[in-house]
Amino acid sequence: MNNASLNGYRMRTRAMSFLTLLIMCIGAWVMVYPYFYAVGNSLKSRAEFTHDKRSLIPPRLSPSKLADHYILGKSDPAQEKLMKDWPPTRNYREAIIYGGIDRFLCNSFLYALVTTAGSLFFSILAAYAFARLQFPGRDFLFGMLLTTMMIPSVVTLIPQFLVIRSLGLVDSPLGVVLPSFVSAFGIFLLRQFFLNIPAELENAALIDGCSRWGILWKILVPLSKPALITLGLFTFMGAWNAFEWPLVVLSNENLYPLTVGLALFRDQNTQDWPRILAAGVMGSFPLIALFYAAQKFLTEGISLSGMKS
Amino acid sequence: MRSKRINWSAYLYIAPAFSLALLFSFFSMGVSFWTSLHQWDPFTGGGRFVGLENYHRVLWGVDSLFWISLKNTSLYVVMMVVGMMVTSLPLALLCRKVRALQGVFRTLYFLPSITPGVVVALIFYQIFGVFGQPLDKSGTALGAIALMGLWSGAGYNMLLFLAGLNEIPTDFYEAARLDGANSRQEFWYITIPMLRNTLVFVMVMTIIGAYQVFTSVYVMTQGGPERSTQVLAFDIFMNAFSVAGQMGYASAAAWLLFLVIGVFVVIQMRLLRSRRIYDE
Repeated sequence: MNNASLNGYRMRTRAMSFLTLLIMCIGAWVMVYPYFYAVGNSLKSRAEFTHDKRSLIPPRLSPSKLADHYILGKSDPAQEKLMKDWPPTRNYREAIIYGGIDRFLCNSFLYALVTTAGSLFFSILAAYAFARLQFPGRDFLFGMLLTTMMIPSVVTLIPQFLVIRSLGLVDSPLGVVLPSFVSAFGIFLLRQFFLNIPAELENAALIDGCSRWGILWKILVPLSKPALITLGLFTFMGAWNAFEWPLVVLSNENLYPLTVGLALFRDQNTQDWPRILAAGVMGSFPLIALFYAAQKFLTEGISLSGMKS
Repeated sequence: MRSKRINWSAYLYIAPAFSLALLFSFFSMGVSFWTSLHQWDPFTGGGRFVGLENYHRVLWGVDSLFWISLKNTSLYVVMMVVGMMVTSLPLALLCRKVRALQGVFRTLYFLPSITPGVVVALIFYQIFGVFGQPLDKSGTALGAIALMGLWSGAGYNMLLFLAGLNEIPTDFYEAARLDGANSRQEFWYITIPMLRNTLVFVMVMTIIGAYQVFTSVYVMTQGGPERSTQVLAFDIFMNAFSVAGQMGYASAAAWLLFLVIGVFVVIQMRLLRSRRIYDE
């Protein structure tokens, strides 16, 4: 009887862990389904999409058709004509030719890169001062900086536009990136990181005649690499995903980042969804690639918590 | 041994970041308030002082969409908060139990966080079109947008909860088990109290973010159908940048939204302060 109840317990835990796995798998499917949907439908020809908006695999690229062609070497004139008329890359090519997605991608890349570099540089400087230097009003100024984190962007959107306009920066790349050069969160995080680095090393360097500036760049920054990379990645992502601000500042289409460009492209191609989805896939791929390249830093970064805003 | 000497050069270090913060946060707040007291003329760039008339128009004007926007936005916030709590926390608890595939799940659930909101909205616009067209009906459109918001945010919050769960010392559970606690008691008397900070953090961030929902509405519905997805950030945007001469009105609406969010901002500030003490 004891044995039987133990067996029952084992069965129950096994069933529980199976159920857990099942739910997580269903959740994972929900998470990846939109990506499969986007990629699958971005490969469809216009006719295929009109005929069937739901399937994930375009009929002319179905596994059996591909196997017939590539493995069994069967020749099917109808299939070959379909492939010739609408090669898998056609929507992608057209999104670039007609929508200028490549230019939007370049713009996004530049904005994100400059934002990241600028905000990291300024954050490092400020964080160093707040962590290591003594000066009157330090805590007050730091507290002031922190409060800027709490101001919702919806309040600052209009005045930031007015400020940028009075600086003559509307419709210029600098106008897009300038407001995000200051990151109170970045300063907060880096200060925290600098404080956790023991000061002995720096004091030794100071005695050896190294300047404050040299200490910052030769000792503190190299030691803070993980924090800097994580912060940099999140800044990059935030800049890449930004939509409302560039939408407000820019009216010259040549300067649009990908997000604004995509919204424009959608308005210009309302009927051509495979092409729109192809453009969307191209727009999200770079970040996903970046994420894979830097996965280790990101998962560590999550535990630093609350980075997304 | 830290020198107590004052480094005047420190001001140079903080100058770039601080001047930008001053300009784009504090000065901007002032400009925003000043604008909200003016009838804005888009052609001359100047404004005519009208006192609190803009606020009056936002709150009681015949053509004001403020109340309907506030109602929709609040409904969206409620859906997001409840949705987050019933998805991301349970997912975190389940994910922790999974051994072999945990890394894969973490990665897949994180994907939406690194996908631009515009792309997500475009894909979901099409998916919703295929599955029942909820965006075309005034009764379901806002719910559909919230569903998309949940899809985008649940994975990220799950990871936050996982980080919080991993910080709970395992001896707590061992001690509880020795005392004969069952798993439900463990959950309510250990996990939830120990997760309190993460819970509040996730909830407040969700609320603040959801009150400012814009991209999905802009891309998918433009406030329709029948104004059922008319939300505050969209209303403000349209008044400020699409309708000529409404900048003052939009600024007043933004300040009223700020008041609503303000409560949660204060909670967040408190939380942040307690974190700082904890960290140091």
